[in-house]
Amino acid sequence: MTLSFGTFAGLASVLFGIGAMGFLVRRSFLVQLMCLELMLNAVNVLLVAFNRARPENHDGQVFAFFVIAVAAAELAVGLAIVIAYFRLMKTVETDKANRLVE
Amino acid sequence: MDQISYETALLWVFLLPLAGALVNGLLGRNADRGLVGGIATGSVALSFLLSLLCSVRVLGMVGGEEDAKIVTDVYAWMSVGSLPIDVRFVLDPLSAVMTLFVTGIATLIHVFSLGYMSEEKSWARFFAYLNLFTASMLLLVLASSLPVLFVGWEGVGVCSYLLIGFWHEEGAFADAAKKAFIVNRIGDFGLVAGMLVLAFAASSFELSAINTSIAGSPHLHFAQTDIKLATVGGLLLFLGASGKSAQLPLYVWLPDAMAGPTPVSALIHAATMVTAGVYLCCRLSGVFLASHTVLVVIAFAGAATALIGALSALVQTDLKKILAYSTVSQLGFMFAAVGVGAFTAGLFHVVTHAFFKACLFLGAGSIMHAVHAHGDADVRFLGGLGKKLPRTHATFLISVLAIAGLPPLAGFFSKDEILAGAAAAGLYAGETDPFFATTGFIVLGVLGVSAVLTAFYMFRAYAMIFRGTYKGAENGYAEEPQESEPVLTVPLIVLAVGACVVGFIGLPHAWHLPNLLGHALEGTVHDLELPQATNLPSFIALGVGLTAALVGLFAAHVAYPGDGPDKVAVLPERVRGFFLRSFGIDDLYARAVARPVRVLAEFSAAIDRTLVDFVLVEVPRHATALASRLFVKMQDGVVHTYALAMAVGLAALVGFYTYPHTDVTAVVNGNAVTLRTEPGLGYRYRWDTNGDARGDEGWESELAAGTNEIEAHYEPSDFAGIELLVRTDRYPDRTLRLGRHPRELTEADLEPGQLVTSEIGELRPAVWVEGNELHVRPNGRQLYVGARALPLDQESVVRANESLRVGRSAMIIVLPVVRVGLEVETAFGQRVHRTFDIALMQESMRTDLPVTEIAGEEEGEP
Repeated sequence: MTLSFGTFAGLASVLFGIGAMGFLVRRSFLVQLMCLELMLNAVNVLLVAFNRARPENHDGQVFAFFVIAVAAAELAVGLAIVIAYFRLMKTVETDKANRLVE
Repeated sequence: MDQISYETALLWVFLLPLAGALVNGLLGRNADRGLVGGIATGSVALSFLLSLLCSVRVLGMVGGEEDAKIVTDVYAWMSVGSLPIDVRFVLDPLSAVMTLFVTGIATLIHVFSLGYMSEEKSWARFFAYLNLFTASMLLLVLASSLPVLFVGWEGVGVCSYLLIGFWHEEGAFADAAKKAFIVNRIGDFGLVAGMLVLAFAASSFELSAINTSIAGSPHLHFAQTDIKLATVGGLLLFLGASGKSAQLPLYVWLPDAMAGPTPVSALIHAATMVTAGVYLCCRLSGVFLASHTVLVVIAFAGAATALIGALSALVQTDLKKILAYSTVSQLGFMFAAVGVGAFTAGLFHVVTHAFFKACLFLGAGSIMHAVHAHGDADVRFLGGLGKKLPRTHATFLISVLAIAGLPPLAGFFSKDEILAGAAAAGLYAGETDPFFATTGFIVLGVLGVSAVLTAFYMFRAYAMIFRGTYKGAENGYAEEPQESEPVLTVPLIVLAVGACVVGFIGLPHAWHLPNLLGHALEGTVHDLELPQATNLPSFIALGVGLTAALVGLFAAHVAYPGDGPDKVAVLPERVRGFFLRSFGIDDLYARAVARPVRVLAEFSAAIDRTLVDFVLVEVPRHATALASRLFVKMQDGVVHTYALAMAVGLAALVGFYTYPHTDVTAVVNGNAVTLRTEPGLGYRYRWDTNGDARGDEGWESELAAGTNEIEAHYEPSDFAGIELLVRTDRYPDRTLRLGRHPRELTEADLEPGQLVTSEIGELRPAVWVEGNELHVRPNGRQLYVGARALPLDQESVVRANESLRVGRSAMIIVLPVVRVGLEVETAFGQRVHRTFDIALMQESMRTDLPVTEIAGEEEGEP
């Protein structure tokens, strides 16, 4: 069975939408980080799908690897921030992180 | 000493006080007080010695073969058009006399100040100002040209301002300084304007050149009358002189100027600066002699000032105010002398007045020092100081008698000369100018009365201070006044001696004794030449002057024997108040000048408050504050808000970029047409280049670059219509898209403005559209299509890609219109189908080339 580009694009859109919606509505720092990962992976799917549609080179796949690597690094920093934030506020709820405006 | 050394010495006469001012002004603040005072006094004293040296040389040359002058070229300042302005010092007999008494009296007053100002904190500042004043005054009298003179003129004005307001912590003193400065600006306007008029008339800024060539200068035609340039220039110069020398109506600043320290009043506001106006008149005597009108104006102004000053001085109770009004009055005498053409007499009075008035002021200073008065000394509260202050008493008395005009003191001789000048003008000018003669007699009378008043008010002041018993102790002055120390009294004695002897330099001609001053100034200052010269005026003057002095002095002597009421109190209160307020001139200024200015200022302030402060400041401020309150809500610090904003923005971007873009442009080069639409990621295109609603090549199967651009060829049968491009030389191109239906073109279609109408004229061709063609019937007007001339009375056809030329600068280009279909599908399956009507304009036509160049080479109109 050959899947069309549209299928991949649809999957990527749905994944991205779930990630974005989760990021917007959830308040837990950790869940938001997971949603972030979800959005990044949606982009990865789309990149690979583009590569499949235009297989002359492997730009899309290579780019997807970069995204995965950068996402790992970003997550490391993000978790560090979560720990620091928890030490400071005794909570991981991000809507409490508004000290600068108060 | 050779000539060069004299020239250098003359330069140093000016430079020494200037150097003193710079050293003390810049470095003196924390320096040793003795050193500062030594530098200041020493530089002026040295300057006096040098000027004595130079003056002896110059005065020795009088009557010799060569011109009696020392000239020092300093440097070329600038040139105005073809007129050079050089900084050049000239010491001729006139400036020698001025330089001598300026430096001499300045030296004495510096010495006096060493004692008088000994408790002053701003010691160096005071001496720097005094030195700067001396330098400026020397620049004024040594200048060879009007602009350089003007620099000195302004320099003394600035120093006067600075010194009047020397104790500027006190508001009233600062106000007095400002008043002096502003009133002087009015006069300075006159001087600058007069300077320009004279430079125009004489084609030179040099004083000597102006003096000699002004008489032959052209006349001004204004309102059908001839006005001599000398008259205009002279009146303007007098305006300048009357500001600086406190003449009517600009004298109001001088009484207030007494706010300055007393030595300053003596030096600047009695002896030197205020006589600069008289000096100017003497220096430019040629200008004033060239116009009797100006002389008469000056004579009346001077005489009136003399009388008003004397009457005001009569009722004053503050010692310095008495002396100030006395100075105004005496300056009036000097100007009256100038006005009757007796310039030498005026200058003579400048010199003698400098001695006795400086002595009086310094005497006043000494008295105030002795009774510990600060700023003002009310003569009603003094008295009985004759025994307590013997040296001050003696010198003051000598000066009082000198100013009253008692022989053989200085004032007698100079006043005598002035009265003689007025009498001579009255007696002998009648043959040529009867009005001038009348003026002479009026001046003589007014000055006679003023002289009586002068003797009276001065002796009144003397008697109230020195006779009777001392009343100062119960009025806030010192308990037991002590005679001042020698540093104060020695200058007094020197000046008093001067007041005794300086009169002998100008003995009347009638006495057949040498008149040294008159002889020295013979070649420099020219008095009015009268048809006759006898001794009669001198005898009249002697009679009037002596009588006035004796009457005035005797009356005051009787009226003020000792303690007792002030006899001027017998004057009605209103008259006395009027005199006290110096004839209400100040009130007049307040009403005529200050009030309108205040009204204008309040009006401006209202505009400032409403327009600037409210509309331009408050309104934007509130708008900004409101906007900030709105926008600050967006920054709530909650991550989710920001994330939502990002999500919305992202969605908008996605929407924008995924919507198919289909605009089509056509590039035409000859027959080849390139159609182009915007590229998009993942787009697929289908072209329908001939507009038949069927695709040309079917759908592209794969995403491929380049299909957003396609080549097409069109035949006339493909044209879906035409578009007219109206191109003129004067207006931007204008296009008319026409439908398929036949239509006659109206004027509005073809004419940007009135251009084509004017080009086509009355024989208006008929132009209309049928199908893909433009039809034209020229109606007798020669029209062209390309290079082809159309038949005049026949209908012709202009096809697509041709142009119809109308006149020289207007043409109608017929562009074919084709219909193009385009279908675009995005990567997300969104599909858009649009149809475009595109006018095919050759690339060569897009330029702004002039109509004639596009149309072809044929020239000319039928």
